[in-house]
Formats: sequence, C-alpha cells, structure tokens
Amino acid sequence: MSPARPFFVAENLHKRFGDQVVLENISLNFAQGTVSGIMGPNGAGKSTCFNVLTGLYKPDRGRIVFDGEDITGLSPEAIARKGVSRSFQVMNLFDEFTAIENVMVALPRVRSGLSRAFWDIRGDSGLMDEARDVLRRVGLRGREKTLAADLPYGQRRALEIGVALAAKPRIVFLDEPTQGLGADGRANLADLIGELKRSYTLVIIEHDMSFLFGLAERISVIHWGQVIAEGTPEELVRNEWVRASDLGKVA
Amino acid sequence: MLTSQNGAAIVTQPMLVFFLLLFTYPLWADAVGLYNYLGVEIAIFVLYALGYNLLFGYAGLPSFGHGAFLGVGAYSYGLWQLGAYPHVFAGLLVAVLSAAAAAAGVVALFLSHRRGIYFALMTIAFGQIFWFLAIRLRWLTGGEDGMLNILRPKLDLGIATLNLSSNAVLHYLIAVILAAVILILWRIVHSPFGTALQAIRMNEMRARFAGYRVWLIKWTVFTLSGAIAGLAGAFLAMTQESAYPDVMSLHASGFVVMMTLIGGGFVSFWGPVVGAIVFILARDVLGAATETWLLWYGLLFMAVMVVEPEGVVGVWRRIEARIKRPASTPEQAKREVVL
Amino acid sequence: MDFLQNLLPHLLNGLALGLLFALIALGFTLIVSVMEVINLAHGSFFALGAYVAMVIINPGLAGGGGLGDAYMTLPLGARYVIALVLAPLLIAVIGFGLELLLRRTYGKKKEYGLLLTFGAALVLEETIRLIWGPAEQIMPTPPAISGAFIAGDMIYSIYRVYAMLAGAFAIFMVWLFLEKTPYGAIIKAGAHDSEMVRALGINLPRLQMLVFGLGAALAALAGIILTPIWGLRPHVGVDATIPAFLIIVLGGIGSFRGAVLGGILVGLAVGLTGAYASDWSLLSMYLLLIAVLTFRGRGLFGKKTALEA
Repeated sequence: MSPARPFFVAENLHKRFGDQVVLENISLNFAQGTVSGIMGPNGAGKSTCFNVLTGLYKPDRGRIVFDGEDITGLSPEAIARKGVSRSFQVMNLFDEFTAIENVMVALPRVRSGLSRAFWDIRGDSGLMDEARDVLRRVGLRGREKTLAADLPYGQRRALEIGVALAAKPRIVFLDEPTQGLGADGRANLADLIGELKRSYTLVIIEHDMSFLFGLAERISVIHWGQVIAEGTPEELVRNEWVRASDLGKVA
Repeated sequence: MLTSQNGAAIVTQPMLVFFLLLFTYPLWADAVGLYNYLGVEIAIFVLYALGYNLLFGYAGLPSFGHGAFLGVGAYSYGLWQLGAYPHVFAGLLVAVLSAAAAAAGVVALFLSHRRGIYFALMTIAFGQIFWFLAIRLRWLTGGEDGMLNILRPKLDLGIATLNLSSNAVLHYLIAVILAAVILILWRIVHSPFGTALQAIRMNEMRARFAGYRVWLIKWTVFTLSGAIAGLAGAFLAMTQESAYPDVMSLHASGFVVMMTLIGGGFVSFWGPVVGAIVFILARDVLGAATETWLLWYGLLFMAVMVVEPEGVVGVWRRIEARIKRPASTPEQAKREVVL
Repeated sequence: MDFLQNLLPHLLNGLALGLLFALIALGFTLIVSVMEVINLAHGSFFALGAYVAMVIINPGLAGGGGLGDAYMTLPLGARYVIALVLAPLLIAVIGFGLELLLRRTYGKKKEYGLLLTFGAALVLEETIRLIWGPAEQIMPTPPAISGAFIAGDMIYSIYRVYAMLAGAFAIFMVWLFLEKTPYGAIIKAGAHDSEMVRALGINLPRLQMLVFGLGAALAALAGIILTPIWGLRPHVGVDATIPAFLIIVLGGIGSFRGAVLGGILVGLAVGLTGAYASDWSLLSMYLLLIAVLTFRGRGLFGKKTALEA
C-alpha cells in the first residue's frame, strides 16, 4: 500500500485571507494509484485546500511537490498541464456546449492543437471517439449531443467528472462530488468512483464519511484549517478527535 | 449554435447564398434601387463586424473601443498611399499590421487579464485615447478635417490591370477578400482555437483548469480581431478616399456592437453579417426619410434588446422551429420557454 | 509665490470639475453595483437634465396669461431653485422607465442590458437634437451666483465656487444615503441578490428602480451645474460620460471612496494640464488611468467582484 516514492506531497501549507488564517501548517501526502479522502465540516478549509493544491490560490508558505517537481505557486493552467485535474463543488461546466463538446475541449490533444486553425475538431472521428469514450466511462452514453445546461442534475455531476478525466490526468481532485445528489445518485457515483480507482489516482473531498468509507484507502480530516487526524477509515473511526468532532458517526 | 455540430463543411449553404448575393450585387443593385457604393460599404462593415464578433460573440469579450483599430487601419493605409509606395496590397498589409500592432502591443497587453465590466470600461478608455490622438495629432492625421486625397491605386494583377476608381471594380476586390476572410473565419471557429474562445466565454475558470492559457488566447483573439478591423479600415479609407476620426468615436464603436448584436452575433456566425446589412440599409432607407434616423434605429434596437435579444437570427430560428417541428420534444419546449 | 498664485485658479477649477465628475461617477457606480449594468445612457441623463432645467427656468410662458405669467414673474433665482429640484426628479422618472425595460434583460447576458442603455443613449440624444436643435444653448444662471470676486490678488468666478459647494453637498447627501439607510447597507455590501436582502425585508425590484432613478437624478444634477461652464450641446452627455467611465475604472468599480477620490484626481489632472497645455488636458486623464491600472489592476479601491465573471 505504501508508495515507492512520494507522488503528490504538500508540506506545511499556510494560507490566509486578510487576517483570517484558513490553512495552518497543512501537510498531505497522496500515494500513486490510491484513493485519498479529505474530510471535515463545512468551512473547515477543505475547498481552500483544494484551491491551493490546484493553483487557484498561492500558499503564503509551504511547498507542493507533484511527482518530484515543485509546483508551488504555479498558475492553474500550468498545474493542469502537468496532469493535475479537478472537478468543482459548484457546478462548473461549459453550459452552452453539448456534453461531448465539454469533454472535447478538455482533451489535451485539442488544447495543444490551438494553432491548427484548419483542424475541424467536430469532424475528426478519431477525436470524437476519444471524447465519446470518456462520456461512456462516466455513464453518459447517448447524451453526447445534449447541451450541458439541459442535462439533469446527476448527469451534470457525472459530466463534471468527465471533463476532469478528459484531460488524461495523473491525479484527479474531486471537490464534494456528492453535493446535491440523492441516495440513488450517491450510489451511482460510488460505483463510478469504484470503477475509476482502478486507473486513476484520486483525491476526494467529502464531509460525509459514509461515502468515503468504502472508497478511500486513507483519509485526512481537516478542521479549523489544520489536519487533526489522518489514517485509514478504520483508524479514524477509533480516533478520539474524530469522534469528538461528530464526523465519525458512520461506524 | 455558433458552430455546427457535425463537423463543418468547407463551404456551407448560407455561405453560398451570401457569396452569390455578394458577387452579383453590381449586376442587380440598380434594378432594386441600390447603388454600388452602398454594396462596398456593406461589404466593409460585414468584414468589420465579423472580425468583431470573433471577440464579442465567440470569446464573450465586449470591446467598446473597436473603432480604434478601424481608424488605425484607415490612417495607416492613407499614410502609406500618400507618403510611401502607392500599391493596393502593400497598403492593405501595412494597415493590417499597424492595427494588429496597436491591438496587440498596446491594448491587448492591458486587457488580456481583464474580464467583464473592467474589460468593457478599459476598452472604452483605450478607444477614447486613440480617438483623441487622431484628432490632436493634426500633422499626422489632419485632425478633425480628416486625411484627404487617399489613393485608390491601379491594381496590376499581371493578366489585367484593375481600375479601382470604379466602385464596381472596388466592390469585386473587397468581395474576394471578404469571401476569403469568411472561409478562414469559418475554419477558425471550428478549430481548437475557436472552441477555446467559446469555452472562455462560458466559463473562464474552467478553461484555465483544463490547462488553457486564457490570457494568451484573449490576447491573440483581440489582436486577430483588431487586424480584421484594420483591414476593414483600409478598405474604408480606400472607398472614401479619405479617413476621419469619427469612426473611432465611442458612438461609432457602439455601432459595430449594435450591428453584431441586432443580427444575432451571440447565436450565429451569420449574425454580424445580417446585422451589418440591416444597419447600413436602415441608415440609407431611414436616413432618406428622416434626419433623425438614429432615433428610430435606437428605438428599434431597444425593442430588439427587450423582446428578442438574439436578434434577427434568433427570430428566424424561432419561426423555422415552428414550421419544421410543430410537435417539439420536451427539451425543445423547455428551451422555447426560456426564449 | 507667483507660481502658486498662477496655479491656484487652475487647482480650484480642477477641484470643481472633479467634484462634479465624482457626482456623475457616483450615480454610475451605484447603478453598476446594484444592477451590474454599465449604463451608457448616463451621459444622456446628464444632458437631458440640463435641457429640462433650462426649460423650467425659462419656459417662455410670459404673455400666456394666468399661471404662466405668474410663474414668469418669479425671480430668476427662484425659478433656478425650482429647476434644480424638479429637473433631476423628472429625469429620475425617465430613469424609472428605462429600468423597467432593463428588467427584461436581468438574468440574461450582461451585454444585453448594456446595449439597451446604448440604444437609450442614442434615442435620448436624438430626441434632444429633435427638440432643441444641434446649436449650442445657454444655460441661464441667477445673478447671485454669477460674476467674480476678488480674494487678495486673485479674481475668481463665483459660479465655480458655487459649483464646488453644490457638488460637495450632493456627494455628502449620497454618503448619508449609503451610511444611514438600509438600502445603503445593501448597496455597500454589494449583496443585492442575497439572504441579506430578504432578511431585511427589502423589495429588490423597488431597490433597483430607486437606485436607477437616483443615479439618473445625480447625473441630471451634475448636468445642470456643469453646463453653464461647458455650454449646452446635444453631444455634451458624451463629454461627461467618458470621464465618469474613467473615474470608475480608476477608483474601482462599486467603491464610493474610489468614485469621489477618482473624480477629484481626474478633475485636478484635467484642470492642471489645462493650465499648461489645454489641448492635451483630456489626454492627462487617460494617462492617469493607465498609470493607475498598470500598478493596481482593479483601480484604487476596487475589490474582486462578481462583475468580472
């Protein structure tokens, strides 16, 4: 289970907005080929943590190393180009594009072909197959030509993940993927992530431990901007901090 | 749709219709009470509006100072013809390059990191600066009196020499270049670059997290759009045989936004084409009937914004949808409610 | 000393201009922060306010008998005060009307609202041309605020002092509105579409209409005060809007302090360059803007807002 070498490592991250400290001395370590969870109550700093890790905010202090390369302070686009992909808690799709266009735009081949002014991407059957394949993986077969805005909520969630996967990432950050989903939606999503964990390194933010329980190998609990506990789900259930903070009531 | 779904043909039906009208215009214009000079003007403004819509409709970047680049193109064409080497293509090239340089080197550098209202307000500010300079630098531009006596040089093509002092001949020259620009733009909007532009319009943040260098794309599209405006400006100077600061004013810059939108630039590649034609025709028809044609045009425009902001193409689409598919699917019905 | 003495009138001119610019910019920024609309018709309100005031001061009713005659026997000063109050109110009503149309564009693309106001600007300017003609008109001012006074070695225009005071007073009133009313609290928080609005039990459509009317009235007021200095032409609205746009960008969108300080800065820049190179005085405004934005992308007091999305 333990990685041969560090894959995605954050060391001593600090971030504050004005005089409010949001992240304090956060260190995280995500091993290649695993599913990691980040848990914590709302407002604990989970999303800020994701935003720092993926480049939206620069940390005030600390270091982020991805696959041996220091990516601290790089722009979101630079980090994305290194193979770090993410989804968003608040829905963040290209609403006037169809489902397949949403995926296509995120394909690295399209992104690196910006100067090819005469390349008709919608008429390129190889590219379309590639995009269709991503949609199939997230369970959106048959919805290729539906506008993202017209998809039902659960399918929009799935497309959100599809766009993240289309970038052929080496690590995928999912920000509260269950947000707003009902029981069925959660079950479907758990199946999907169970499927994805075979081929991707995943990091999932969740405030609901029951969802993470069956999926994540290791979970970090963030509270008041700090990592208050870290371990396997079984270890966390026994952790007094976690019990005290009311997060571990699943077991 | 700003782009077609199934892969775009090199030449499409609307394109053929437009090209047919464009190239035959001098043959039937007289018969319907129009004239060649008007056709030239329409072609120029179609060119201008199409380039503008790349920025406005596709990338969602509302420039309110685009007249600056039209003006830079017009003046640099004029300066070149008057002072350097009177040759049509050399002049056009100089105009395109100077407008592109003004757009890329000055304005876009400041703007490529801006969005929304800041973007719009800064384009106004920059537009005003260029307009102001055009008026003040009298020794260069002739100030408010304009730059006069700009040439329409003879164009020697080897097999034939075109006499551009004829409006009909000038019309064909502009038509050929306009057609080429349309073919190229149609490719561009279906290319990864055109797709990225739309992605940025819909969700700039998401585009960045998909690895796009958004500022660079914005810079590029601004430059490209400015260069096309410069080309249109050169043709305008050639047509009018003069150049004036008017085209750079806030009002004139607003007109190209109006043209683009009233046709339906947000929903169709052809929106700006329709809009430019409507604008120039309205100016001529209303302008002949009343001195306050802008009042009526303004009212018409306000009505469009309130009733059907997707413009002429939007109305057309609705009519088409009703004729073609009386029994609409639930999804279409939902979209119709939204409209 | 000589240098200072030569400079002082230009400084004062700049300050008067700046306070009135700030007034225009304030109305504009209020509209932006509540409705997220760039109101391109703002300059038209400025111009129309001045024209309407001119008519109220001098409606040419004499000889018509009855009320008309009675009104014309009022001293110029009294008619001026009536115009100063009534004209902005009338323009506010026109503002209400435009806001009602604008309402149809809320929730759609932001450009639609902006372009609707561009259409309105064209319509209003052409209407002015239609009614009053393209020629320059003279805005009458009462004798009490005309002429000049002497202070030490300096002769200075009374009207400009009046303009300065009137501008400062109007800005103070806006400040009171923002600080002392619940509407103000919402506008300042930039939270026009939030829990806060509902919690305070405020009717959002009414707030929007009110703010649009207020913005229009402020522009009209500035128009009445500024046009005796500038002259009254149909196109005068554009001359007023451009500085207002610049001030907003300079001071930061949605910022009261930014609008006032930006207004004064721009006024001073224009006033001082006017002293030495009057042809170029407008350019100083643009250069100031670029200088500020190069170092502070969102202007002096700008915060990152939803307006950029």
